[in-house]
Amino acid sequence: MIRKELVAASAEPLILSLLSRGESYGYAIIQEVKARSAGKLQWTDGMLYPVLHRMEHRGLIKSRWGESETGRKRKYYSLKKDGKAAMAKHHQQWSLVHSILAGLRKEQYV
Amino acid sequence: MFDLEPSIVEWRRQMFAAGIKTPVPLEELESHLREELERQMRLGLSEPQAFEAAARQIGQARALRSEFKKNDASIGARFVELTGIAWGVIAGLFSLWFLLLLFTVHEVNWAGRMLGLVAMASTVLIWRYGYRILPVIRHPQVRALIGFAGCVASMVWMGIFIKHILPPLIGQVAVSPGRLMVSFLWAWTLAAMLAGIAPGLGKIAFRQNQPAIS
Repeated sequence: MIRKELVAASAEPLILSLLSRGESYGYAIIQEVKARSAGKLQWTDGMLYPVLHRMEHRGLIKSRWGESETGRKRKYYSLKKDGKAAMAKHHQQWSLVHSILAGLRKEQYV
Repeated sequence: MFDLEPSIVEWRRQMFAAGIKTPVPLEELESHLREELERQMRLGLSEPQAFEAAARQIGQARALRSEFKKNDASIGARFVELTGIAWGVIAGLFSLWFLLLLFTVHEVNWAGRMLGLVAMASTVLIWRYGYRILPVIRHPQVRALIGFAGCVASMVWMGIFIKHILPPLIGQVAVSPGRLMVSFLWAWTLAAMLAGIAPGLGKIAFRQNQPAIS
């Protein structure tokens, strides 16, 4: 299981990256993260919504109410221009951390 | 005997009692609860078991409330920022109007026109880059308070200028209309700068907050 601090820090870049593929809703975002991490990255489901609302207030994403296939109300989120810029920044920073870690790991085996 | 709909109503009541009082999060959380419930039932759980699992998965009402509360503080700060932007735009439009007058009224000399241009350029530059000299205030409520003080100071300043500074200037026979316009322009410039504190604080806090792994 991934540590709580890392889960929290990765929430925003993951949400932005998932929404960059098209609009989505809370439940689908959580299921997608679970599936992609093989269940190792677990959010308390309800905690996603304050994060989504915060990102919306910051102008990174926008939302609209729609309907599911069964007619149930659903709130869909999509990326805004500032969100795309924030996502690019996140990718740059996480790539940097990843490359440092990978480099240090490689040195251990030389 | 377990009954799903009353259980969901009771779950909503508990969320409401814990402090999640606005309809949007409750609607969203309920929609999520129902989707998770259906998934659990497809996996083979009974209705009561699925409901219990879905409610557990959503999390404790109090923990959720404390997360949503952080957003409420941000909304207040955002409202003050928007007030600052609106007031700054009004001040900016007035400045622009006076600048146009300065350049169209014939009796204004070039020195007056240049002073007017400098006032307008100062406003634009400070609104564009001034936020960089502001401190990073992470607490949204403190940011809102300071921004609100900036907006109030801006409005009070324009009140003082119009009520107490402008009339004596108009009364002076030697003061030309051009000088009056330049004075008004600089007064609006100061008002726009004070109003710009609220959006400026928001912008610098947002920029500092961008990296998730700082």
